[in-house]
Amino acid sequence: MSCNLEQISLTHSNGFTALAGVSLSLHAGERIAVIGPSGAGKTTLLRLLGAAVRPSTGGIELLGKNPWSLPVTELRRLRSRIGVVHQAPPLPQRQRVVTAVLAGRLGQWPLWKSIASLLYPLDLAGAQAALERLELGDRLFDRCDRISGGQLQRVGIARVLYQQPDLVLADEPVSALDPTLAQQAIRVLLADAEARGATLVASLHAVDLALAEFPRVLGLKDGRIVFDLPAQAVTDQLLHDLYAAESAELPTLSKEPRFSAHSVEAEAVLRGARCR
Amino acid sequence: MKQSSRRLALKGALSCALFASILSFSLPAAADEAVLRVSAIPDEAPTELQRKFAPLGKYLEKETGMKVSFVPVSDYAAVVESLATKKLDLVWLGGFTFVQAKIRTNGTANPIIQREEDAKFTSKFVTADPAIKSYADLKGKTFAFGSPSSTSGHLMPRHFLLQANINPDKDFKNVAFSGAHDATVAFVAAGKADAGVLNASVWDKLVEAKKVDTDKVRVFSTTPPYYDYNWTVRGDLDPALVKKLSDAFLKLDAKNPEHAEILQLQRASKFIPSKAANYDGIEQAAKAAGLLK
Amino acid sequence: MNRAQPAAVNPLRDPAALTRSTAFLLALVVLWPLLVVAEFKPGALFDPQNLKTTGSFLAGFLPPETGAEFLSHLVRATLETLAIATAGIALALLIGIPLALLSTRVLAVAEIGPGPGLRRSQFIHYGLRALLTVLRGVPELVWALLFVRVFGLGPAAGVLALALTYGGMLAKVYAEILESGESRPARAILEAGGSRLQALLYGLLPGSAQELTSYTVYRWECAVRASVVMGFVGAGGLGQLMDQAMRMFNGGEASTILLTFLALVLAADALSGFLRQWVGRAGTDGRVAGVSGGGYVMALCASLSVLASFSYLNLGFGELFSSESLRLMVGFLVSFFPPELAVGWLSRVGYGVIETLAISAVGTLLAVLGGLIFALPASGRYGLLAGQASRFVLNALRSVPELVWATLTVLSVGLGPFAGVLALALHTTGVLGRLFAESLQNAPAAPRDALLDAGARPGAAFLYGTLPEVTPQLLAYSLYRWEMNIRMAAILGFVGAGGLGQLLYFELSLFRYAEASTVIAAMLLLSIAVDATSAALRRRLA
Repeated sequence: MSCNLEQISLTHSNGFTALAGVSLSLHAGERIAVIGPSGAGKTTLLRLLGAAVRPSTGGIELLGKNPWSLPVTELRRLRSRIGVVHQAPPLPQRQRVVTAVLAGRLGQWPLWKSIASLLYPLDLAGAQAALERLELGDRLFDRCDRISGGQLQRVGIARVLYQQPDLVLADEPVSALDPTLAQQAIRVLLADAEARGATLVASLHAVDLALAEFPRVLGLKDGRIVFDLPAQAVTDQLLHDLYAAESAELPTLSKEPRFSAHSVEAEAVLRGARCR
Repeated sequence: MKQSSRRLALKGALSCALFASILSFSLPAAADEAVLRVSAIPDEAPTELQRKFAPLGKYLEKETGMKVSFVPVSDYAAVVESLATKKLDLVWLGGFTFVQAKIRTNGTANPIIQREEDAKFTSKFVTADPAIKSYADLKGKTFAFGSPSSTSGHLMPRHFLLQANINPDKDFKNVAFSGAHDATVAFVAAGKADAGVLNASVWDKLVEAKKVDTDKVRVFSTTPPYYDYNWTVRGDLDPALVKKLSDAFLKLDAKNPEHAEILQLQRASKFIPSKAANYDGIEQAAKAAGLLK
Repeated sequence: MNRAQPAAVNPLRDPAALTRSTAFLLALVVLWPLLVVAEFKPGALFDPQNLKTTGSFLAGFLPPETGAEFLSHLVRATLETLAIATAGIALALLIGIPLALLSTRVLAVAEIGPGPGLRRSQFIHYGLRALLTVLRGVPELVWALLFVRVFGLGPAAGVLALALTYGGMLAKVYAEILESGESRPARAILEAGGSRLQALLYGLLPGSAQELTSYTVYRWECAVRASVVMGFVGAGGLGQLMDQAMRMFNGGEASTILLTFLALVLAADALSGFLRQWVGRAGTDGRVAGVSGGGYVMALCASLSVLASFSYLNLGFGELFSSESLRLMVGFLVSFFPPELAVGWLSRVGYGVIETLAISAVGTLLAVLGGLIFALPASGRYGLLAGQASRFVLNALRSVPELVWATLTVLSVGLGPFAGVLALALHTTGVLGRLFAESLQNAPAAPRDALLDAGARPGAAFLYGTLPEVTPQLLAYSLYRWEMNIRMAAILGFVGAGGLGQLLYFELSLFRYAEASTVIAAMLLLSIAVDATSAALRRRLA
């Protein structure tokens, strides 16, 4: 049930190399944060792990299988065991929250059940439970275009909670949430993965959150792995080297543009996190 | 404001075009004086009508000294309306269309000539269904008439059906109007209608020309005789011209080989004078059948 | 659509379920009688007798007729069709432009202030709008049928019918375009004492010339399609040939004519697309269409083709509008009044209205299904080959006019309304399929891709990821087409496919104008009612 990447490279058709020689090994139940400056290849790495893009070279094994040597139905079955939380949740505007959440299990449902559920939501309780873990229980029957961006992002998380995949990939899953909610949401994802023994890989913009909540942290820059260490072993120097090109300060939860006024506290959070 | 200048240019060009075209089409209208405009109800395919008319047209040109132009039509009623609005001078009408024309023109439409055969005209009921042997077998079937305005393809057959206690509007599953007699045969042969009715003259012609497979489509009933087609002129046509026209028709003689071709195409042994009273019976039948008020 | 109920009340029941099931039941209750009235019997398609009839007729399609005499007829008819469309649009512009100017409120001086004569101005405004509704509401084929009687036979009737209907449409849409644009410049000119025309030229046109031109070209394309069928009532052109070929079951001729249709419609499509793109490009260049030499060349070409059309058709309008024929025309019109209002007749017309409604509704519904089925591959979902093939099918379906389809479907399922349903469904599938495919192509891909990446089946991913995004637009398109189909359903009866048309054809053939007038009035009311309903539904969806 483990995932392995061996000397993976991915070059886009326009010649841009997004990942170069990445090797990575994930054990079942492991929880990993991926950090790094914009354009480092975080999203590409997650898409590779989600069997959404095919590597140009190198060997890949997801949940014990090489996705690109599987027949179509097997590949589909494999994908249904992988859940992705997107930074901008790709939910149709006019869809209701309940439908959007239930869509998480489309890969496991037979087609008749998918159609029937459009007529009447078949697992109201399940959708409700997933949403309640993110304090969205009262939004069950709202339309996706009538809730806020932060709520929408949490609906995306609820969909993956409902899907119950063996491998959870979260791409900047809390970017639209305020610090408290962000921390809460990440903890829900972690707890869910831990309880089910699922693997969780999350790319995070907020370094403090990554260091505070995840046991293992991966530093990515220019398509290469800079460090792959337990959270305690990540030093200030490593972080500053990782983000050198971006700015003098490290991106943290509270330094998201909306909360930039609280940069002093953010430093404190960061320091606090480092001390743990 | 450049766009508006362009619009203006476009509009200017348009109005020039229109002006020029108004000029261009008012010219031929002025030269229309010496033309005899002839048409016929489209009871057969328009191409067939034109073929039939060609030698007769030449003959009439010779006899009247006028240019004769044949206007092809695809709608019965349009012929009547065009006669009433004086867009046609001489038309070949069916009995019922003549009655309609008489009413539309307040009795001025003038029937001058008809074929000898038209005095005792009949219609043939045809079918391709072996089970249909009499009017009574038609109940619940799809039936094809010709044009609603046709005498031999609609009015008189309806009249005789009603006399036999068959009401086409109630007893048939569906009523189709094929539009023309030859089309009715095509409807029946193709199975689009279970049975149909057409005028005897066209049926005979189709049989002679082997345009219908008589093993498949057969006649199962023939109506009693009635007055049908005539040549009608508009009421205010110059009497001298009317005289010339009827004389020309009456002069046609089957022994003259040149005339024989015309008569054969018109499917006439000879032409005889006609009068409005011949068609009173049709008018009554139309009223009885509810096709005329 | 729905507001969330407080979760505490009963979280495990979908609050929308009641509304949905009511709507579903209501739809069934409405649809059932419609299906019955439309004599919806798909089984008729597979009736061995009908299959044989259609089969042997279609077998006659090969080889297409290529005799020299027929081809010369065909060329003449094709030119006539093009000329009717072009001349018709030219006259429609003459009617439409002044009416649009007069009914555009932005250009009304009296609305300022409001000034003197406001009452009169508003009266004229509403009067004109009503006139436009009448012009548009009566199908062009009915106008043609009437004009064949008044103006005699041949293309003049077709040209005038197009001129009236399209004049009405152009006026309405022009006025809408002019009013939707920025109105302050025009207002300023009026306030400074300018005239209506000056306000138009300097205030409104600069902003809307491009859209106006584009719409005009689009209408020309529609006119080509419309003039193709004018011949069915004796107004010249390709339709007349087609009518004869179909009546005589001459498959070879029919297939040649159909191929010509296809070529003509696709060519008009391409030309119109090119012209509209050209106009659009010129507009976005910052350069204005027509300032360059190209614009003048285009305008010159347009006027030359109008000129050529009129001289080719040789309409003899001089004679048409002589005092004698005007007198006769008035007499003809008078004979339509008063309409026959006897109860028995009204009930027959009433049934005709219901039948027409049923034909249009069921036909459009089938077309929505068919359109979706073809739109999926046409939007490039199942590969290039399937995409090309289904786009070709859609184009072919679309380029054959409904009336021509009807002549074929009466063979396949027999006479009656079901043939009309199928005819509408076939043509509309082509139209909607293309529009749907465009919507699907433009729909955001992310929701669907995300579901596919989570292992969803393609079908399920489409239902959950794509359909919700495009549904409002698909519904709007379908309603719009239904509006158009109801006008078409009203005339399909001319070839024996049920509805009001059959009544009208019969009554006109027997010169019972009072009765015919009731039928025309019913068509008009139906079209107005459907316009209003569909507009209201679309507003709710928006």
